[in-house]
Amino acid sequence: MKKNLIRLFIAILPAIILFSSCEKVITLDLKNAKAKVVIYGDISDQTDYQYIRISRSYNFTESNKFNAATGARVIVTSQQGSVINFSEITPGVYQSPKFRGIPGQSYTLDVTLDGQKYTSVSSMPEKVFLDSLNFRQVSFFGKTSTHVVANFEDPVEIKNQYRYLLTIKGKVVEEVVSDDRFNNGNKVSNTIYHELNDLKPGDPIELDLQCIDRNVYTYFFSFGQNMGEGGPPVSPANPPSNISNGALGVFCVHTSSTRIAKVL
Amino acid sequence: MPNIQRVALLIIIGLLFSKFTHAQRNYTISGTVTDAGSGEALIGASIQVSGLLKTGVISNSYGFYALSLPQGEFELSVSFISYKTQVQRITVTKNQKLNIKLAENNQLTEVVISSTKRDENVSSPQMGLQKVNVREIGTIPVLLGERDVLKTLQLLPGIKSAGEGNSGFYVRGGSTDQNLILLDEAPVYNASHLLGFFSTFNSDAIKDLSVYKGGMPAQYGGRLSSVLDIRMDEGNRKTYGVEGGIGLISSRLKADGPIVKDKGSFMISARRTYLDAFLALSPDSSIRGNTLFFYDVNAKANYQLNERNTFYLSGYFGRDKLGISKSFGFNWGNATVTARWNHLYGSKLFSNTSLIYSNYNYVIQNKNDVNNFEVNSSIKDYNLKQDYEYNLNGNNNLKFGVNVIHHTISPGKLTSSESSSINQINTEKRKGAELAAYISDEWKVSNRFNIVSGLRLSSFSLLGPGNFRNYDQDGNTTSTVIYGKGKIIKTYLYLEPRLSANYQLNSAASIKAAYTRNVQHIHLMSNSTTTSPTDVYILNSNNVKPELSDQLSAGYFRNFLSDNYEFSVELYYKSLENQIEYRVGTDLRGNNNVEAELLYGKGRAYGLEFFLKKRYGKFNGWAGYTLSRTERKFDQLNGGDWFYAKQDRTHDLSVVGIYKPGRRWSFSSVFVYNTGNAVTYPSGKYQINGRTAFYYTEKNGYRTPAYHRMDLSATLEAKPGKKLQSSWSFGIYNVYNRQNAFSVDFKDDPDDATRTQVIRTTLFGIIPSVTWNFKF
Repeated sequence: MKKNLIRLFIAILPAIILFSSCEKVITLDLKNAKAKVVIYGDISDQTDYQYIRISRSYNFTESNKFNAATGARVIVTSQQGSVINFSEITPGVYQSPKFRGIPGQSYTLDVTLDGQKYTSVSSMPEKVFLDSLNFRQVSFFGKTSTHVVANFEDPVEIKNQYRYLLTIKGKVVEEVVSDDRFNNGNKVSNTIYHELNDLKPGDPIELDLQCIDRNVYTYFFSFGQNMGEGGPPVSPANPPSNISNGALGVFCVHTSSTRIAKVL
Repeated sequence: MPNIQRVALLIIIGLLFSKFTHAQRNYTISGTVTDAGSGEALIGASIQVSGLLKTGVISNSYGFYALSLPQGEFELSVSFISYKTQVQRITVTKNQKLNIKLAENNQLTEVVISSTKRDENVSSPQMGLQKVNVREIGTIPVLLGERDVLKTLQLLPGIKSAGEGNSGFYVRGGSTDQNLILLDEAPVYNASHLLGFFSTFNSDAIKDLSVYKGGMPAQYGGRLSSVLDIRMDEGNRKTYGVEGGIGLISSRLKADGPIVKDKGSFMISARRTYLDAFLALSPDSSIRGNTLFFYDVNAKANYQLNERNTFYLSGYFGRDKLGISKSFGFNWGNATVTARWNHLYGSKLFSNTSLIYSNYNYVIQNKNDVNNFEVNSSIKDYNLKQDYEYNLNGNNNLKFGVNVIHHTISPGKLTSSESSSINQINTEKRKGAELAAYISDEWKVSNRFNIVSGLRLSSFSLLGPGNFRNYDQDGNTTSTVIYGKGKIIKTYLYLEPRLSANYQLNSAASIKAAYTRNVQHIHLMSNSTTTSPTDVYILNSNNVKPELSDQLSAGYFRNFLSDNYEFSVELYYKSLENQIEYRVGTDLRGNNNVEAELLYGKGRAYGLEFFLKKRYGKFNGWAGYTLSRTERKFDQLNGGDWFYAKQDRTHDLSVVGIYKPGRRWSFSSVFVYNTGNAVTYPSGKYQINGRTAFYYTEKNGYRTPAYHRMDLSATLEAKPGKKLQSSWSFGIYNVYNRQNAFSVDFKDDPDDATRTQVIRTTLFGIIPSVTWNFKF
């Protein structure tokens, strides 16, 4: 909020006096921390291959990459006790046989890597369906931009947490989370603030509405805070992980409801 | 620290009670010190007795003073900054009244921030105190030409800016909510306009400002780090006047004059920004529809019924308004009202009764059809203060009193229309009462040795109605208890000893030491790196304990070249308990379960402050340097290790120079340098679902780039003698266009997704300003 307000303040002032805020790419001397294990697990309610990705952190100055951690033993156990084995199909990417997660069930992840054990529990909430998508024009100080709006009905009996994945041309371009503390039990229309101005009429966009448990929500909310999304800027910290033994990352068990819309 | 506290307590109790055992045959000389021209009371004027008995007092916030003297002939020397010193002979045979009128000295050569007496900084037992004479800060350069007392304060050692252009400040390692900001005794909860770029205090309306960094007198309490005591201007009791100014951002107008000549006066001062007027000129309708402005009004009236009774009424009202077309509205502001009655019992007992109201609130409106809502949040205080000053004898001056504050906090009321997807949510109000009683004594042990000992008893009670929760270590609710209206949920009681002493080594040098305990019962909730008008306060509860600080300080004060130069060095150590931080991933917005997110820990701050000032002459100014360390320790943060608080800055330097070659021109310059704030930057990175994520190791283990800047200003006064007096002020902020970092962000390069960039945002480069001021 504050940052936007400051931007607004700054946006007005140049009309009056000769200055404006200015951004510049700089170099900082950052430390090189010892590599840390990173686990990103993703189990959905769609019958499909499910993946657990295991990597290691690396130095800030290096090129962005998936720094694979190979040779791990990966098992997911359902609440009923069925054991699903994951096998490494490409370095660091561990794949299950086709299966689907069941809403209301919790899943336990066990990873053994270089003699270290990492475990996590995440539960799949009841499913909420994405009813429709529409587009919205937002005007901010003379600039109009187009955004997609997700419409769904929030169930009244339970606390819900949502994660939205916006995919354009096969690439996830926006990931945000929300909860229902302000609109529990209502017909909800949430705007996904990602500018779609560059798209041509007829271009498809895809939005996945996921229901996630509270810990997973907190992880992604904190992740967004670090990136300057979701409220006032905070002093960054590693998002609170639901994985034990100091691993970074999250084990995210979720439902999935996807819709595609064409830009008007 | 508890041991120090116990020892200090014993000493203070001993000192306070020993007072009543011996009495001497003395007479009281009392009265008020006023400005001969306007009839306004002068705060902090010095009344010195010369001759055999070397003693003296300082006039209080209402200009009142009382002196105890034995029978005989004495010479009184009365002085005040920028006034001619008046020497008066008196013969003491009985209690007598003596009102003193001082004439202004037009040959103004003294510097802006100055003690009232030439050697007061050396001779007074008070330490950690800085006074700002508001009349004279006009020449110091400021952002966009808006004079601002809070920004001037930040040029003093031990007081640090909370960020570029920010009115928030840190005192000796404390956070911004640990400053008690009083405007005519009314607490001001959010002292900033326009998101912190300007303070709520219009310099035109301010008469006197004192800031205590340590050694707070016992009459003040409730915040850990500092007391900023601001007194509004009272208006001229003899003639009417109008003055104002037109600047780039805002215009100001002030009027004052007598209500009844020599008996009462009024003052009203207002200002408004006009950024929105420029918006209205835009050809683009989506820009025209926006609003962004603030205004504030200060008003004060006083009436002297007779020699013994004077009444004062003062108020402040300010508001910021921001609106984006028809879709969004946001406004916030403070309102305060203070009613006071000064009464003199006999010739020795001065009484002040104050009834104070203070309110801060904000409103957010989202007018978007499907998600429309309105949020209302406020904090409201009723405050009753009864203060007494009693001149016990020539060597002891007693102050005592009581204070009751009733707080009502409405964290947020969310309303929406029938068609909105947002529910109506009413977060419970919280009520609490602070009760305090204090006594302090300034004791002149000998001509060289002074002691101020004080004791403050403070209590806080959390009051019903409401549902009150208890939490475990992880923030899970363990129980909820429902209390009815007026029921006491929890009471905290603390004794706050205050002790300061000075020993004068010779006429130009002294050493001082002080111990102060402060307790804070109300806490600002903000996990953000910046302050926002939407930050809410919470009260003590079953879970939130009062914040405590114990400060020890010692200093050496030295004047040289006939008090023309003033030098001091102060050393302080402060230990803090029950400090508040937040769990990682805390969302404070609309959170009605805030206490579940809090972590409690401790802190320590220590430092060395140097201050050198040249007070007189064509060229004057000062330099302040602080070497300091501020750390915090929380079990659940940074692996339980000590970490630097964000306001930790190793070096902090301010230099102010003012040059007045003749009657019309004056030039000034400010230079500031400080080590960057302690921040958390990544020490590695990784990927989550294809997104770049950063790996953080120690908390606040990095520094933002060092901050430095130089400002210049020049003021041209019109030729004297005309009825309309006007002046032009020209200023340049950040002369050498230093690109200071407002924020540093880490992002993937938009042109090369394999690279990560570090982006520095600078808020203000070089900024010129011009202001026209007038007075008639």
